[in-house]
Amino acid sequence: MNASYLELQGIRKTFGGSIVLDNVDLSIQEGELVTLLGPSGCGKSTLLRCIAGLTEPDGGRILLGRKDIASLPPRNREVGMVFQSYALFPNLTVYGNIEYGLKMRGVDKAERQRRCEELLALVDLEEKRGAYPQQLSGGQQQRVALARSLAVQPKVLLLDEPLSALDAKIRKNLRSEIRDIQKKLNMTTIFVTHDQEEALTLSDRICIMNNGHIVQDGTPETLYSRPRTEFVARFMGSYNVLTHAEAVRLFGDDIGRAESYALRPESVRLLAGFGEHGFSESVGGRIVEGTIDSVSVLGNVIRYSVMANGVRLTIDMLNDGRTFRTETSGAVRLALNPSQLLQLEKEGA
Amino acid sequence: MMKSKAGWTHRSLMLLLMIYLLIPLIGTFMYGFAKQWQTTVLPESWTLEWVLEMFKDLRFLDALWTSFYLCAVSVALSLAVMLPAVFVITVYLPKWETFMKGVVVLPYAVPGVVAAVGLIRTYSSGPIDITGTAYILVGAYFVVILPYMYQGIRNSLLTVSAPELLNSAEMLGASRMRAFATVILPNIWPGVMISTLLSFSVLFGEFVLTNMLVGGHIQTIQVYLYQRVNESGHLASAIAVTYFLFILVLSTVLMKLGKKFNGEAGR
Repeated sequence: MNASYLELQGIRKTFGGSIVLDNVDLSIQEGELVTLLGPSGCGKSTLLRCIAGLTEPDGGRILLGRKDIASLPPRNREVGMVFQSYALFPNLTVYGNIEYGLKMRGVDKAERQRRCEELLALVDLEEKRGAYPQQLSGGQQQRVALARSLAVQPKVLLLDEPLSALDAKIRKNLRSEIRDIQKKLNMTTIFVTHDQEEALTLSDRICIMNNGHIVQDGTPETLYSRPRTEFVARFMGSYNVLTHAEAVRLFGDDIGRAESYALRPESVRLLAGFGEHGFSESVGGRIVEGTIDSVSVLGNVIRYSVMANGVRLTIDMLNDGRTFRTETSGAVRLALNPSQLLQLEKEGA
Repeated sequence: MMKSKAGWTHRSLMLLLMIYLLIPLIGTFMYGFAKQWQTTVLPESWTLEWVLEMFKDLRFLDALWTSFYLCAVSVALSLAVMLPAVFVITVYLPKWETFMKGVVVLPYAVPGVVAAVGLIRTYSSGPIDITGTAYILVGAYFVVILPYMYQGIRNSLLTVSAPELLNSAEMLGASRMRAFATVILPNIWPGVMISTLLSFSVLFGEFVLTNMLVGGHIQTIQVYLYQRVNESGHLASAIAVTYFLFILVLSTVLMKLGKKFNGEAGR
């Protein structure tokens, strides 16, 4: 395993007696894009501000390339940051905003010009160089903020919910642009968001935070398919979280001794009527009967709410035109695969 | 149709408001240039006699200058103290804002006469004996314009999201002082200019405190106007019009300078 490029050791922070960060440890490799994902107030932005030097932690170490930067002012940390509100300077043009950091660091004019041109090309804003921030769209402002942070060639780039103020379409486009730029520059990046879809799409690794802790971290695939706790299961998607009794009612007694279980909505199959083929009980599958409560079409996915053996389940099926449809209150059969039932640990265990 | 009706109501209201505001001004203006105006709607004859008499009186020019420099010194002092103070409170010590909000409304709570008597009693003896001097007036003026300066600067800082701009500038390598000078100041400058002009106008028209604190010693334009109003209404009107035009020209020049400064900072 490579040595960590950025390492947080035991970061603690309290605000007015309440613990916001509780001994947070995190290691990030060079060139990695790590997402801090969690609900509002979980401490993810505070952790980012501690790394940036904008909030002073009560304790802990922040090592960047083996150097402890915890006591340095923000301007000496070699860390760049893109704020949620972009924080572009309204009195400066796009070019002026990108050039600002270079000017502050005493870079000579020719070099400043060369680097600004490079970055304007990178974010595709060459034609907007003379525009003021208030003359740009949200997406363009975001790209300026990104270019401005990259101009000073930081060792780590911090992105604090940079896409939250944009509409869905622009957000998707910018998401992939950010990822492309990050890969192209091999920039070590920490991305903060509360949007699990954004985290899954962008990240090399996701750290899920709750109540000042990192409760689970791993690759997007691992986190989605193997949530450890009920909080992660609920946060990562529309997992069905079942108590032991509920799980027994659906899967029988042979399911272990966990207090709660998670079942992915797409792991349950909905069968129309009796005699439907395509699901084999020989692989250990179980078939239970149920009643559909509601159906909603979410674009490429149809989401069913089904009551089966007194347990309400959310079931997602691909909206491929072949999926059978049913009216609300229709009787259906559910094909359940016990191997998809995940045992969850207690919170904080 | 509805839109057209709403437009006419709006325009009529605006017209009434303009008439209400401008009639006294136009009346004063005409009276300052009227020779005979007693039983007719408009003056019977016109003259420059009152304006010339006013400019011949050296006391008028003295009073105008005295008012100008006392107001300028007070506003400059207030700007020098309040700009960094409000910046620090808004950005770094937001908890103190409640206290500051209480302090800045005090000038409204204490009537001018009461404030003047209190100031005279406090500063007429003891270690700081400044009653009747320009110092006490500048001090009092500072307090009078406190609400305008505080609110104006604070609102400007909040409008431009000063804490975030500052954080952003610091992350890019600027020191706090440099971030303030290169990012915060150019962006709040238009708001600060408006507060400054408003404060200047308020002080220029201030009479009660000035007359009670230094009336016998220092003659400001308002004190001079008060003294001459009994001699001739025509002359008092000419003085009022001149003083109004003076403020108008000064405001225009300062606004233009402000815009120029802001434009240059933006480049």
